[in-house]
Formats: sequence, structure tokens, C-alpha cells
Amino acid sequence: MDISPIAFYIFSVMAIAFSALVVLKKNPVASAFSLVMVFFCFAGIYALLDAHLVAALQILVYAGAITVLFIFVIMLLNADVPSFDIGRSHILVKILAGVAAVAVLAAFVWAFKNSAQIQPTGTFSAEKIQTLGGNTRVLSTLLFSEYILPFELTSVLLLAGIVGAVAIAKRKPSQQ
Amino acid sequence: MNTYSLIKPELLMLTKEQMFSLMPYFYMFVGALFTIILSVNKKLSPKWTVFLVSLATCLVGISTSVARLKIDTLTLFNGMMISDTYSHLFNIIFIVSAGLTILSSFRYLDKEGLQHPEYNVLILLAALGMMLMTSSMDLIVLFISLEIMSLSVYVLVGFRRADRRSNEAAMKYFILGSAASAVLLYGTALLYGATGKTQIHDIYTFIQTHPQSMSPVFVLGAWLVILGFLFKVASVPFHMWMPDVYEGAPAPITGFMTTGLKAAAFAAFLRVFVSLGYGSVLSETIQTHLHHILWVCAVLTMVVGNVVALTQTNLKRMLAYSSIAHTGYLLIGLLAGPKSDQGYSPMIVYLVSYAVMNLGAFGVLTLISTRDDGGLNLNDVSGLSRRHPWLAFSMAVFLFSMAGVPPTAGFLAKYLLFYSAVQANELPIVIIGVLCSAVSVYYYLRVLVYMYMKEPQGSPMKSGFSVWPSFVVAAMVFLTLQIGLIPGGILTVARKAMAAL
Repeated sequence: MDISPIAFYIFSVMAIAFSALVVLKKNPVASAFSLVMVFFCFAGIYALLDAHLVAALQILVYAGAITVLFIFVIMLLNADVPSFDIGRSHILVKILAGVAAVAVLAAFVWAFKNSAQIQPTGTFSAEKIQTLGGNTRVLSTLLFSEYILPFELTSVLLLAGIVGAVAIAKRKPSQQ
Repeated sequence: MNTYSLIKPELLMLTKEQMFSLMPYFYMFVGALFTIILSVNKKLSPKWTVFLVSLATCLVGISTSVARLKIDTLTLFNGMMISDTYSHLFNIIFIVSAGLTILSSFRYLDKEGLQHPEYNVLILLAALGMMLMTSSMDLIVLFISLEIMSLSVYVLVGFRRADRRSNEAAMKYFILGSAASAVLLYGTALLYGATGKTQIHDIYTFIQTHPQSMSPVFVLGAWLVILGFLFKVASVPFHMWMPDVYEGAPAPITGFMTTGLKAAAFAAFLRVFVSLGYGSVLSETIQTHLHHILWVCAVLTMVVGNVVALTQTNLKRMLAYSSIAHTGYLLIGLLAGPKSDQGYSPMIVYLVSYAVMNLGAFGVLTLISTRDDGGLNLNDVSGLSRRHPWLAFSMAVFLFSMAGVPPTAGFLAKYLLFYSAVQANELPIVIIGVLCSAVSVYYYLRVLVYMYMKEPQGSPMKSGFSVWPSFVVAAMVFLTLQIGLIPGGILTVARKAMAAL
């Protein structure tokens, strides 16, 4: 399967640029909207890889639901005011952090450049999925057979998250 | 048209044996659900029902796990999960520590005005996460169960919402812990990218059959996974979160973290390491590479933990640094394991004894803590022997055990660990370890000096002790001495667990 290099580069460059904006923008709402764009670029890359279901879910769940939640939280907390001092770190710390980041990036680039000798192939290919009835069908069958354990455990994880959120949000500090 | 059948029926069936092996997990989950339901019941007072139900859950969980202890190894869910002596032994440790935490928290929550049912639910869910973590044989399941555990513990750490330190601890732990989880997840993704498998056994066979698959990407992924684990066990370059979190968390939760969380992280670490061929089939260069990493981490962890603990006057901070130091000793066990006769069983004995003495020590701290328990410092225990001789005696037993003085559990565990390292020809690190534990005697004994040789300060506590925490402390004193004097039982179980691994 080939993916068109032009489309891939467009999406990747946009994803990187918007990710940088998420971090650099001072206004939290602008950051949140940059994040939406990052999610759209990811969805584009997934679609290029023939993973249409994942691309659709990426847009529905991440770009839709999660970002709306972010913006709600930003509005409710009125997060325009920074709650603690940021950006006051020592210049030496900044330089060191920069060097470390570049070093990590270099390590990753080197590793990806040098590991092309073997390309493991899985059970499925794009054609096989087509014959079996498409992404959605294959994915949902697998979720309820082979991957039933992680699938069910994810709901336990969500339950823990809900109980935790209730425990934190339910009572006001003054009521104690 | 369908030449490839998607649903494999054998994956959807569970045999009777497999059903029984799942019971401990099942009961813990049902118990947590039942606790949630009871906590919204208006007719019964949630305080007592929730307390009793969560305790009953723990008891049932322990008994089902004990019943499965001697059963042969079984794989479940297409090899994603494994049920063997190793996992059930650790299940028992986790459920016992959850149950004892619930027991010793009961009065504490009243005292702090925190009597909320979510507390018990979260402890049960955290224990479930730990149990799944040690029995998972799949990187996805491992990550999800790690998150179940971490998420519950993040909230428990910040449970005293009115307290600034507790909030700060929860926030720090949450941010750093999420970063570490992300590192672990990225490592997992790279391992999957390099091998195309997520199951640990499949990855193992893949790197056996394709030696060239040990590509830089694979190594990078393995590195990131190791970093994630080293963060969770709080080995030294990644230990910064621990003192603040231990200090800010409610005292019983700190006890739960030192025992459950640490044992879970180590158990999963060991499981992944050994199942991926550490110490047996990995090539010589990788073996020495891993050896060097662990060696440096172990030495740094022991030295930093012990030396910084010397200067602490806050008891919880001191125990946090001592917990870091104990991580260092455990890493020696991981180093020495492949080359000594006893394998990793000293590590298991160490984890059990460490859990016992820490649950006890934090039980004592829970009992003597006043409303603002973050500030428990040496002055608060001064003269404790005059006011509460038995409590002081128990604390003394636990501290002696942590320092490694015979005839306690701590001595036996340290002896076995260092002995296995000597067998593995790791003399330099044993010498460093022994010197470090000699240093540690100073700060453990300083607490004793305060308890036995100083005059009581401040006004005596008004309320008497409640039954439950006192029971926990007494049971732990008994176990500490019992493991120290008659270690036969625990040694046999540890050997059997290692054989299953």
C-alpha cells in the first residue's frame, strides 16, 4: 500500500506546527483550538493509512468531544490567569533542557533511520480487511473476541476515573 | 468468501479451571461495585456498611487467592493474562495491604472528617489494578491495569482536600506519574512497532526467531519501558516525586503506597523482565548493558535514599527516603537473580517482609497522627514509650526490622538478598549495600532514641486508640517476628512462585 508523500508531508508539517502552537500560545482557548487542528491532521494521516474508522473516531472523539470538554473547563475555571509562576527558570536550566530535548530527538531520528531491516507483518492487510467486510466489522469483532480483556478493563479504568472525579469534586473544601 | 474466520470460538470459552482462577479479580471488582451501590443507599448508614462490605471483599479475595496458590499455571484470554503461584502470591499481598489499609483508616477518616465511601472504593479498585498488573502477559493489559492503579492512587493521595500539602502532592504525583505512563506507553508502542506483537511471549519468540529484530527501535522501546518502571518503583534519577507525595498523602494511604504500589511495580517489572528472557537467552552484550543500567541505578538509589534520610526530621519524609533506599536493595536482587542459585526468590521474600513492616509502621503513624498529620515529626513521638509503651514497642520492632536487625523479618530478607548477590559474584555492590544499611541504622535508631529517652512533649492525646488499627499493628508485629524466626513457609512459597515465573 502506498501513501501519497505530498499529503503525508502536508499533514505532518501542519500537525507539528499546530502542536508547537498548543504549547506556545498564551491564550488557553487558542491552545485548545490548535489542538483541534492537530487532531484533524492526525485523522488525515490515519485516513491515508486506510484506517478510515480510526480517522472518523479521532475526529468524533478527540476533535469533537474531548476538545469541547477542554473548552468548558477553561471557561469554568476562567483560566486566563496563570495560577503559578511559569517561565522564571534559570537560563542554565533552559539551555540544558533544550540540549536534552535535541539529544532525545536525535536519538529517535537515528533509531528510526537505522531500523528498517525488518518489517514485521501482522495478520491483516488492507485487501484482507476489504474481503472480510471492512474496518468497522473487523475491529468490532476483534474487540469482542481476541481483545475482550483489555476492552473490558478499559471500562474498569473509566469507572475508577469516575469515582475519583466524584471524590474530588463532590465536596467543597470548606465543608470538611 | 470468508477464508479467514475472525471469531475463534476457543477464545470466547472459559474452562472451569480458568473461571476459578479469575475469581479473585472478579470478587474484588464486584466488591467495589457493591460498595458503590451501598454508598448511595439512604436507609443504611453508608459508613459501616461500606466499611464491612469492603473488608468482606478483601477476605473473600484473599481466600480465593490462597485457594489458587498451589494450582498449576494457566493462561487466560488468549495468553493475555496468566494465573500462577507468582500472581496469586502477589494478589494476596495486594489484597492484604488493601484490607489492612481500610481497617486502619476507619478511625482516621472519622478524625479527619473524611468519612466518604469513595475512599474504600478507590482502595479496592487500586488493589484490582495491582492484581491485574502482576498477572498480565500483554503490554496493553499491563498498561491499562497500571492506569487503573495509578488513577485510583492519585485521587487517594489528594483525598484531604482542605490540606494544601495533600493537594500539592496529588498534583505533583499526577503530572509526573502521567508523564511516566506516557513514556511507558510510548515504549510499548515502539516495541509493538519493532516486533508487531503486544503479547510478551510473542515478542519473546519473535526476537528469538528474528535476531535482527533487535533494532535500535526495539532497544529504544525497551529503554522507555524500563524508564517507566524505574519511575514507578522510584529508583534514584526518578525519585523526586516520592518524598512530597508520601508526606502529603493521608498516613494510611502512604502505607498502602509503600507496600502495594511498590510491590506491584516490582512484580510487574520482574515479570516483564524475566518473560522477555532477562538472565537466560538474551545476548551477552544486552545482558551486560542491562546489568550496567541496573547496577548504577541500584547504587545511586541506595546511597541517595540513605544519605538524604539522615537529615529528615519529618517521619513520613524519612520513611519515604528509606523506601527509596529499600528500592535500591531490591534492585540488587534483580541484578543478582539470574546468576545465583536462589533466582529472584529473595526479592519476593524482601517485598513481603517490607510490606509487613511498612504496614505496621504506618499503622502506628496513623494511630498517633493528629489532625494535621503531614507534620508528624520526631518531636511528636518523643516520650512515646511513657505514654503508650506497647505502641512504642511495636514501632521499635518495625524500625529494627527496616534496619535489618535480627530476629526480625527485615534481617532475614536482607540476609537472603545479599547472600544471593554474593553467590552471583557481585561483591562490590554488596559492600555498598551493607555500608548503606549501616548508615540507615542511624536514622532508624534516632526515632527510637526520641521514643524511649526523651521526655514527652505537648499535651497527651485525648482520644483513646480504636480497636482496628491497634489490631493491624499487633498482627504486623507478630508477622514481622514470625517471618524473622520461622521463615520456612514464606521461603517455600517464594521458591514456588519463582519456579512458576
